[in-house]
This record gives sequence, structure tokens and C-alpha cells, in this order.
Amino acid sequence: MALRQWMVTHEWMVKPTRQTEWIDRRGLVFLAAEVFTALGAGLYLVSLLFNNWWGMLVSWIIVMFLKIPLHLIYFGKPWRFWRTIIPFTKTWNTSWLARGVNFNIYFGTVVFFQLVVAYIATNFFPGTVWGTLSFILGIIGGIFALLVGLYGGFMMSYCRSVPFWNTALLPLILLFASVADGFALFMAVGLAGGNVNTAAAETGTQWILIINALMIVAYLWNATYTSKTSKYSAMLLLRGSLAPSFWIGVVGFAIVIPLVISVSSLYIGEAITLLLITAVVLHTIGAVALKYVVLKAGVHNPICPTTTSSYH
Amino acid sequence: MRWGMVIDLSKCMRCHACIAACRVEHFLPLGMTWPRLIAWEEVPEEYTTYPVRCNHCKEPPCVKVCPTGASQQREDGIVWVDQKKCVGCRYCVIACPYQNRTFLSKDKDSGYFPGYELTNFEKAGKKLYPHTVGTTEKCNFCMERIDAGLAKGLKPGVDRDATPACVNTCPARALAFGDLDDPNSEVRKLIRDKKGFQLHPEYDTEPSIYYIDDGRRGE
Repeated sequence: MALRQWMVTHEWMVKPTRQTEWIDRRGLVFLAAEVFTALGAGLYLVSLLFNNWWGMLVSWIIVMFLKIPLHLIYFGKPWRFWRTIIPFTKTWNTSWLARGVNFNIYFGTVVFFQLVVAYIATNFFPGTVWGTLSFILGIIGGIFALLVGLYGGFMMSYCRSVPFWNTALLPLILLFASVADGFALFMAVGLAGGNVNTAAAETGTQWILIINALMIVAYLWNATYTSKTSKYSAMLLLRGSLAPSFWIGVVGFAIVIPLVISVSSLYIGEAITLLLITAVVLHTIGAVALKYVVLKAGVHNPICPTTTSSYH
Repeated sequence: MRWGMVIDLSKCMRCHACIAACRVEHFLPLGMTWPRLIAWEEVPEEYTTYPVRCNHCKEPPCVKVCPTGASQQREDGIVWVDQKKCVGCRYCVIACPYQNRTFLSKDKDSGYFPGYELTNFEKAGKKLYPHTVGTTEKCNFCMERIDAGLAKGLKPGVDRDATPACVNTCPARALAFGDLDDPNSEVRKLIRDKKGFQLHPEYDTEPSIYYIDDGRRGE
């Protein structure tokens, strides 16, 4: 018995072991930062598509004043963040985190100028070179928004020891989810009086939610046969401790209910404000749930060469 | 030159001396453990153990993901963390396939007797081997000992003053240290003669820690 007690305390990494650094305790700050990444990048891309200045402004505020500060708070030594910025770091060629930090900075800078130029072009010099400049800056801003929306997924998919993340599908899933979040927030901007084409946004929402659903199905299906550990992660979502968050939060709130509301508006004719608000709120809760379950289901492979019977 | 270690599982008697030696050598905070002895029940009441520590991989993912360049690899293969550069993002902790990195949070450095004054050992440690809260740590193959020993003309793995503390301390001589690039080194001979293997070679990280197991465990 004494031997058992002595040993049990060292049963470490001999079974699939959940990563905790990016989700437990202070890791919740990381989760919040990732949620705002998706909301900010997605809203910018959608607003750019619809050429909506207010949407772009809100997305810039989300990235600059919510996402980046939260990431900095998460760091153990936040005041050293400058070491992650080019030219102070040389690891951007291998580190997705270093790349991500720099994408954020470029996004913030370019979009700031784009917002200023677009405002001047619209209100003071319509139909002049200011409009062209705003268009060019918008394209560059869009590229950086795309990279901001992508890098988190690549950061996670780089980790070979977490088979559930170690797939090229993950960055795409997070990017498409980000765009879906963007559509939801875009409608919220419209509800707040931001001059939004709600009908077009709803059509976009329907397509992106269907694509999202298909990608999540493919991702989980793929995870069930890639390795034992990735199957274990997938099962955590489908039947395990994360099932309520996944089925209610991701499937119900983020995809099914907003999709049903969006499709029903086709028959009702005009979107009902209350239903739109419901769809936006539920989808945003679902966006949090998606990041939560993906981070929470990040399970490391055991390090021992043979695996335990309980693992099998 | 590439420093490496061979761990003979048939000799390891699970005494934890290597872990204690490391703790003393580096004045590790209570919540920090660089080497570990992991154990699991292969069949009921029969345990398999592996002493594990940073593998000082030839292709270390932790170095590649570090956004500041705090995680570095020396020319002799030792992977170490420059605590003055570490930003505490914990990416390396997650990216390490062997999970041999630990983030030093405040609660892990609360003293050996929380609520009481630091012991003389802890006070000495704060001066001699300071650990920075908010950064990541891991085994560094006692690189200070290796460097000091080499400066004196000693040979790591042969001379005690140039050899990692855990290797010196092991009463069963289950640990061997030396140059993996030298075909005549003890570690290379052990790997060759006793079919040394690495943990998870499929990750393509080429760990510098090899294990040998001739199937006579516990005899």
C-alpha cells in the first residue's frame, strides 16, 4: 500500500494529459484573448466586405483594446513584450506566436490609418484619391486581419504533442468561426444603428454557418482515427466532460439556433429585431464555447513508450 | 560535440536521489521539479518507472516556438532558457512533446514552509541561483558545472566536477553522461551495445537522452 501511495504521486504524463497552461486559472485570460481575436478579425473582414466604417472601427477597438491587452496580461513578464516584436526578435521565422504579435501590430497600425483615410474620403473628399488610398489600405488591413484570424490556429496546430490540434484543419476552422463571429457582430453593429445591410449579412451568415458545421464535423471525424489521443480528445467533446459545452454551446448556440433564426427570417420577410439580438448573443456565447472546448480538449500524448491499460 | 545521457532502466532503483541532487544543485523552489521519476502500473501491483528530464533535443520544438529567443540551443546541444529574455507565454511548455518544462508561477515559489520565514538553504538559493517568477524553467544538464569543468580541463561524464549533479549522485550508476558525437564515449558505447532508445522518436526531435533496458529490472 505504501508503495502504491509513493508511486501514484508520480503518475505524470503516463496517460493522456490535458494541457492546462492555456485554459486553467490564468489561462482563462488566454481564452478571452483568443475569443476577442476571433471577434475582432472576423468583424473586420466582414465589415471590409460590406465597406462598413463603423464595423471596422469596432473591430479595431476589439483587437487593440481587448485582445492585445489580455494577451499581455497573460504573459508572466508582460513588460518584456517588446522582445517579441521585430526587430527585437529573430524567431519570427519559426515561431507562430512571434508572427502573431507582429501581425497584430501591423493590423493595428494599418487599420488605424485606413479608418482615418476612409473617414476623410467619405466626409470631406468623396470621389478623390483619398478613396483609392482607403481602398488600398483596406486590402492591406484585410490581409493582416486574415493573418490575425489564422495565426492562433497555426500556433496550436504546430504542437505535435497535442494530436487534436496537430492538423491543418484547425487554423481553417478557427478562421471560418471567426468570420461567422464577425457576421454576428456585424449585425449587432447594424442593430446599434451602424447602417448595415441585414439581409445580405444574413445570407452570408447562413453560408458561413453551414461551412462551419461541415468543417467541425470533418475535424472531429478526422480526430477519431488520427491517433488514440486525438480520439480521446474528440470523445471528450462528443460524450465526455466537455459534451455539454460542445453540444449546447458550439452546436446549439453557435450554429443551429442562429442558422434557424437566419433561415426563418427568409419566410418572415423581415428580420425581427428580438430574434436578431437572440442570434447575435447566442452566437457570441457559442464563439466562447468553441475556443473553450478546443483549448480544453488539448491533450498531450503520454511520454512513456508503452501505454497503460486504462489508456487503451 | 553533443552532450547526452544514457539511463539504464535495469539499474535504476527508484531512489529519487537524482531528483534530490538536482533540487540541491539548483536550489529549486518547492513547486519546481526538473527531473522526474514517472511510474505507472503495467499490470496490477507491478510498476514501470522512467526517470525523465529535458531531452535536450537536437531539433527542439521549444526553441522554435519561443517568440523572444529566450529558449536557446548551444553548440554542444544543451537547450536552455535565458530567464532574462523569457516573456512567460508558456508556448514552449505546451509545445514540448515530453512536457519537461515548467512555468514558475508565484504559488510554486511560496517557500518550503509557506507562512514561515525562508530557511537558510532557501535564502542562500535566492542569492546563488535565483529563479525568476513568471518565466519557464527546465533541466539545463548542469551547464554551469560543464562549463566550469571544461575551463579547468576536465572531461564531462568522467570527472565529477564537470558532470551533471544527478549523474554524480546516482548510487546505482544508472546514469551515464558524455559526448554523443564521440564514437568512443561511454554513452555512445552503451547506446550501441545495449540498443539504446529514445522516447517518441516519431516526433523527429532527436532527444539526447537515451534509455537502455536489458529486461532485468529489479534483479
